[in-house]
Amino acid sequence: MGKYVKHFYLWITIIIFFGYIETVFAQDISLTATVDRNVLTLNDRLQLTLTIHGTQDTAPPSFPSIEGFTLLYGPKISVQTKIINGSVSTSKGYTYVLQPAAKGKLTIGPSVVEYKGNTYTSPPVSVEVTDAKPSPETPSPNFEKAIFVELSTDKNTAYLYEQTVLSFKLYFQKGLPISDINYTAPLTKNFMEEKLGDQRQYEEIRDGIIYNVLELRTALFPMVSGELTITQAKLHCNLVIRQRREQRDSDGFFGDSFFDDFFGREQKRYPIERTTEPITIKVKPLPEQGKPKDFHGAVGTYDMEASIKVQKVKVGDPITFSISVYGEGNIQTINEPTLVLNNEDDFKLYPAESVTQITHREELIRGRKVFSKVIEPQNTDLQYTPAVVFSFFDPRIGQYRTITKEPTPITVEAGHQEVPIQLTLSQNGLQSAKQQAHILTQDILPLMTNISPLRNQGKGIYKSPFIIACLAIPAIIVITSFFITQHKERLQTDIGYARNRRAHTVAKRRLATAQSVLSRNTPAEFYSSLSKAMADYLADKFNISTASASSDNIGTLLKQRGVDELLVEEVSSYLTDLDYRRFSKDGGMREEMDRSLKSAEQLITKLEKQLS
Amino acid sequence: MSVFLRLIFFCIVPFSYCGLWIADCGALESETQNLTSEIKNPKSEISRDAVIRLFTDANEKYLQAAKLIAAKDSRGAGQKLDEAALQYETILANGFQNGQIYYNLGNTYYRLGKLGKAIVNYRRARQFIPRNADLDANLKLVKSSTEDKELSNETPIVIRRIFFWFFLFNQNELTMGAVFLYGILMILLFFLIVLKYPWLKKIIIGFSAGLFIVVVSLGIKIYVEQGKDHGVVIATKCHVRYGPGEEYELKFEIHDGAECVIEDEKNGWYKVYVHVGVKQGIEPKTGTEEKASKEVRGGWLLKKDVEAI
Repeated sequence: MGKYVKHFYLWITIIIFFGYIETVFAQDISLTATVDRNVLTLNDRLQLTLTIHGTQDTAPPSFPSIEGFTLLYGPKISVQTKIINGSVSTSKGYTYVLQPAAKGKLTIGPSVVEYKGNTYTSPPVSVEVTDAKPSPETPSPNFEKAIFVELSTDKNTAYLYEQTVLSFKLYFQKGLPISDINYTAPLTKNFMEEKLGDQRQYEEIRDGIIYNVLELRTALFPMVSGELTITQAKLHCNLVIRQRREQRDSDGFFGDSFFDDFFGREQKRYPIERTTEPITIKVKPLPEQGKPKDFHGAVGTYDMEASIKVQKVKVGDPITFSISVYGEGNIQTINEPTLVLNNEDDFKLYPAESVTQITHREELIRGRKVFSKVIEPQNTDLQYTPAVVFSFFDPRIGQYRTITKEPTPITVEAGHQEVPIQLTLSQNGLQSAKQQAHILTQDILPLMTNISPLRNQGKGIYKSPFIIACLAIPAIIVITSFFITQHKERLQTDIGYARNRRAHTVAKRRLATAQSVLSRNTPAEFYSSLSKAMADYLADKFNISTASASSDNIGTLLKQRGVDELLVEEVSSYLTDLDYRRFSKDGGMREEMDRSLKSAEQLITKLEKQLS
Repeated sequence: MSVFLRLIFFCIVPFSYCGLWIADCGALESETQNLTSEIKNPKSEISRDAVIRLFTDANEKYLQAAKLIAAKDSRGAGQKLDEAALQYETILANGFQNGQIYYNLGNTYYRLGKLGKAIVNYRRARQFIPRNADLDANLKLVKSSTEDKELSNETPIVIRRIFFWFFLFNQNELTMGAVFLYGILMILLFFLIVLKYPWLKKIIIGFSAGLFIVVVSLGIKIYVEQGKDHGVVIATKCHVRYGPGEEYELKFEIHDGAECVIEDEKNGWYKVYVHVGVKQGIEPKTGTEEKASKEVRGGWLLKKDVEAI
């Protein structure tokens, strides 16, 4: 008996294993025809590959009609098996090399293969053959058709707030090495964006050529109605081409291709820039007809669940309503479902806390928003919780829908009366509201009642003009003391400066002496003292000896200092006149002496103005 | 006689601007509504004596309210608290600003369940009494009672320790510090000029650096505290929208007491951003939160729902 049981399990295992293998290998069968290029010259050769996907156990596909081409050789058979994330894919390829015999637009006909009674046909492939051109010395590659980008949306017309998928695709011919991809996303003003999954990579056949496709997808939610434009997207990348280097004798050992590869000397980078066309989407406003009262802008396809954790409570005890709205759409903006109350005083409602969870981001944005709403029954007559109502607009059917969750039965017993005034710290939110009144140690700290510091603190001291004025006084004192000290030091150390500063004072004293001499009526002595006063003044001013203060010398110095020509002339003639009168017996009358004294005073005053 | 006239002047004249005669406290109680409307446009100076009288009276009402709460007379307590809040507001509306008054007003609003207004007043009080431990404790307590447990706007403790003078002193204290340093610096400069002691130069450089730091700190403090770039939500529930208007879609909701940074103002709407906690997901079986993170979210709020600090 045990032996049979053992065999039974073995057979079961074998069946399950082969069933699994069958499941793993069960793929869609298809036949594709691809070419390595679809524009070529008469000198080029075309590589045609017929690939059977999904099985390797078939007869070779029929060779298609190749009007305008001659078969050079083939088929070269290649077999491929890929296992990616446990998913097995197989394919078998038949590659032919064709030589164009005529120019123009040629078509390679469909190929046919039969497998398990079914017939699979490949689509025809169009190829353009042009005249042979002389090859330039440094051919510049043309990658217009080899690399291109597309921007598209899954729909051209959408409702306000309806989820729309924006897809950016980069196509590059299989095997083209590109690097440094830099993508500039389009501007989606008036849309709210949500990224959809990671970038996708797959292969796609277009015009018989296999392209690698990189796809970036974004969910867009239009926020305003009207014709909205999505601007162009840009892509920069570098195409890395290895070019053969001309072999030179001097290259010697380092001309080896190993070093070329290692140091990247043979790689050339072609910067590629591609721009998509902008897209316009017509966004329709939500219809007014049939709009429910509790509709607050949720658009999508949603469902709702509602539950409570406790069904037996006392009056004033919190009941936490857990309401989960889930589905496709803009989960973030789902509004709180409405509770339908028969009497507003039946329940005390608290604001709901919500948690948003996006569960799927692959095809579309799917997720759930869970609302935790606390309600407190206010009397013992209540037997049911309020019904929960959620309204949204379903863009698939173009209508508003309302989901209603029926009331849940509850039992409410009599409880303590709650004091509505806030007493203490609510550490755990609303759920602990009932215990707060008893935890007096956690109450707020008391009032400040001290009157002595009660003064107006709003008047900023820095605004007070008195303070600002007081701040200026020490600065003025410091600056003044600085200049006084400087002045005193210079008087002591700089003789020229000291003589210059004292010249006027000394001159005034000398003129006073001359005036006293004038009263004695001794002309020679008067003119002598007057001449000395003028000579000393000018000597002090120019920091020279009194003996050097001759009429000519003074005239030159005055001119050098830029004194007015007339004044220079006046001073010179005055000094000459004084010298004459000093040594002349004709001293002159009293009036002339008075005039000389006044002239000296005036000249000194004028010079003081011009020399200072 | 002159004392009597001064008493009349101090007690009656300032309040006559508010349309309020407070000679009798009973009269004040009966004209609560009138005062509320009047205090919106006052700007008369109020005497310190009148302030002390209102202040002690409001404190007394607050204490009476506390007793009524203990006696579970919530209605009577609410009435007393309303009156106390009105009296504090009257003092402040007359241009008399003091940290104690803001603190007491914050306490009163907290008792009334107005968390947003309580936070606003605690924040204002902190501008005048920044080292008060009671104030910090109450502010923390009120913040923990708010519905939006958003990331606090508090400056990190490291920054508070490094730039301690900025956080420990108010504007006037910093001004006095700057004036003091300036006076010392000027005296030192005077002695350097007159006496020419070379060692004075190093001390002067030290004081100059200190003065520079204090003056810059003062400037920043004045800029920060006078700018209306921080606000607190005072409405029970507030809809943050994508644009400045009811026609814009609802973005998210914030509640009483949530603090926000005001970026712009347009047509009676504030453009704000707030720090909000985002729960990453829910454990399906237990319903517990798996992970919570904080992020900054912006939007437009009705101006009337926000009070700038």
